[in-house]
Amino acid sequence: MLLYFIKRLAGAVPVLIVVSGIIFALMQLAPGDAVTMLISDEASEADKARIREAWGLDRPPFIQFLNFLGNALTGDFGMSFRYKMPVIEIVMDRLPATIELAVAATLIAVGVGVPLGVLAAARPGTAWDAIASAFSFAGISMPNFWLGILLILLFAGYFNILPSGGREPWGLGVEHVTGFLIIDSILAGRWDALGAALKHLALPAIVLGTNMTGIITQMTRAQVLDALREDFVMTARSKGVSEARVLWRHAFRNAMVGVVTIIGLEFGTLLSGAMIVETVFAWPGIGSLLITGISSRDFPLIIGLVLVYTGMFIVMNLLIDLFYTLIDPRIRMN
Amino acid sequence: MRKATLSSLSVAALAATATHLAAQDYTDARVAIATTETISGYNPYADPVVLMGSVWCQVYGCVTRYDFDAGEFIPYLAESVEAIDELTWKITLPEGLTRHNGEPVLAADIVHSIDYMANNPGSGKAFLVSDWTNVEAIDDLTVHITTQTPDATVPDNLAGVQVTSKALFDELGDDMFRQAPYGAGPYKMVEVSIGQHMIIERDDTHPMTAPNNPAQIMYRLMPEPEQRVTALANGEVQIAQGVPPQLMQRVRDLPNADIATTNSVEMMFLAMSPNTHPWDVLEARQAVVHAINREAIARAILQDQATILHGPVSEGQIGFDPDFTTPMDYDPEKARALLQSVGLEGVEVTLSTPVGRYTADRQIAEAMVPMLEEAGFTVTLDTPEWATLWANVQQGNVPFYYMGRGSMIDPSRALHQYFATGGSPRIGFSDPELDELLAAERSEFDAEERALKMQAAIRRLVEQAPAAFMWQHQMGWGVSKDISFQPRPADRADGWEIFVN
Repeated sequence: MLLYFIKRLAGAVPVLIVVSGIIFALMQLAPGDAVTMLISDEASEADKARIREAWGLDRPPFIQFLNFLGNALTGDFGMSFRYKMPVIEIVMDRLPATIELAVAATLIAVGVGVPLGVLAAARPGTAWDAIASAFSFAGISMPNFWLGILLILLFAGYFNILPSGGREPWGLGVEHVTGFLIIDSILAGRWDALGAALKHLALPAIVLGTNMTGIITQMTRAQVLDALREDFVMTARSKGVSEARVLWRHAFRNAMVGVVTIIGLEFGTLLSGAMIVETVFAWPGIGSLLITGISSRDFPLIIGLVLVYTGMFIVMNLLIDLFYTLIDPRIRMN
Repeated sequence: MRKATLSSLSVAALAATATHLAAQDYTDARVAIATTETISGYNPYADPVVLMGSVWCQVYGCVTRYDFDAGEFIPYLAESVEAIDELTWKITLPEGLTRHNGEPVLAADIVHSIDYMANNPGSGKAFLVSDWTNVEAIDDLTVHITTQTPDATVPDNLAGVQVTSKALFDELGDDMFRQAPYGAGPYKMVEVSIGQHMIIERDDTHPMTAPNNPAQIMYRLMPEPEQRVTALANGEVQIAQGVPPQLMQRVRDLPNADIATTNSVEMMFLAMSPNTHPWDVLEARQAVVHAINREAIARAILQDQATILHGPVSEGQIGFDPDFTTPMDYDPEKARALLQSVGLEGVEVTLSTPVGRYTADRQIAEAMVPMLEEAGFTVTLDTPEWATLWANVQQGNVPFYYMGRGSMIDPSRALHQYFATGGSPRIGFSDPELDELLAAERSEFDAEERALKMQAAIRRLVEQAPAAFMWQHQMGWGVSKDISFQPRPADRADGWEIFVN
């Protein structure tokens, strides 16, 4: 299994190089550069030329890319033009917030979508099925930013029971050990901080997970319905196995491979959705950072972040592959 | 030449007040401000954004600042700033001025700060000081600045010079900004969370702080206006910057907050580059100015949250003439006649506008299209992404666009940049008569004389119409009823102007 993982991770290296090359080329094709976007609009052309030289933007693009690549292979993604700090430092500071949000959103999506999908499949054509379908289609079609603003107005504005944004209240005072606020609060034994962290996480996680919930509901329903039509289900029923056991033990377990596959694929969509959600909720993750990077043409930051996103997607799919072997013993890592 | 001297309300002059205030109880209340600006990091010279610049001035102290009540630049850290001849300005520091760590503020610090701004690649504010040919410490408390040409904008530029420590920089380099952000301003740096928030803390010993100024202030980035207003409503923040017109009534209806508005000192305008046809024809440019019904747009789209401009400036700005009314009023028939007179009826033009950069920018541009077509133009509306539009504007590749220009308390730099020959490629306008008038105002150090010269330049500018001046947005600030804060005509919220009730 270890060899399999090493092979997969080694295979990811060319993918990361190609991705960074594509991003770099796209940045070159876009009008303007970091100097245009970040230096005051009062700066003279001489000032801009001096800064371009200092930032290495006066060199031929291919040389710039090779320099970047050479440094990146040693883990140095360069300095952010906007923040004047090493990209890796900025990304590592904000990555835990995005992972925390993405994991919470995935848990919500799986926790709601799977039972709802199974329920709809167990009672096809009933009111339950109609409710599940309506819920999932609404989730799939609702834009994140719209739902986000709606929930802010409702839960932060009207009911005033949840904060409107951010990750923690001013002066929470929990030491950032892992960077994951929930874990850090537990490690510090600060249950008040844990409560505050969960309150801040609730709305953005719900918004981010809504689309994925809809898709998982639909996918689970379809997979379980297919499984319920299989011969082994008929055999189980003829042997007098209870309907609940048929549904969960036989049909659902066989449907899980498809469901898990879609969770892995949707994780990528979820990460891209995080950019919007983080902006709407002022969530200090790498999604909102990427938006800032793009608007300021901060290419070391953009490439660094895209590589992190790509890496997260690769690791997630690797974990999904691992999960296959747990849910279906016929699947082997080789 | 008459000498210009700034010497009122300096830190030293306020020292007597400090003794009195120190005896009173200082509030420990904290105030959170929801902002729209970027929070780029620890380097005060890196990001030229106005609000963050003002925060850094509160921490480090700047050489001068603008007194909105007096309508002039006054010394801030300095004791006085004066022109001693046509090309030389003298800055005098007060004796005994110290940083938050007790280190003295010296003339060498001002020289170092200006040198860093001009030459360090970490600086995004070189434009403020790059025309100065020499900056020299005469003694521990005196600095002389030599300019290439007579330059009345030096006090304005010095308002953007945060005075950091040369001694600490020599010891720590750029790490000084993070490890030892000791300034001589009324607030101390507590925390910077990049892209998220900044926290500053009142210096009780500073003469500019009052007992009821907030003990701590958090500037918290909240990009979405709905979120800023909701955070104000539920008490998460006490001040919300940038409340758009459509949300102002919601803030007024809140039991715990109200709206305060002020001019933005940002001129919104339609630029027409004479380097491209038909904008090389004066009548075509004038036709545009006559074609736009600014009052209707301000009323219907901006909900009256705008001050109509008769030139590039309005009340409170240098060069404003209350008796001047633009001859380029809304007159669609005249616009059509002008266009017909030069045989340009039906001429095709493309109007470019950013989307989401300025209040209701796209809606405004959409409203302008039928107005321009009524005058005889055939208009295509172009709405590129901001970064693309801005890059092309800077290169002079956009002939006709809707845009804003801020930081215009003293409009001289902006007018030179956009309208003087060779100022920048953005409009590419050239008019020798206007150049002379602009040069004259720039070299006049007497405030009243300079205002008159500026007014003459503005009249010429309006007549030549390289731009149609539209309005200044009224900027809405949501303010909690627990505090008193009257925003100034600039995007800044200084701690010493916020009072806890």
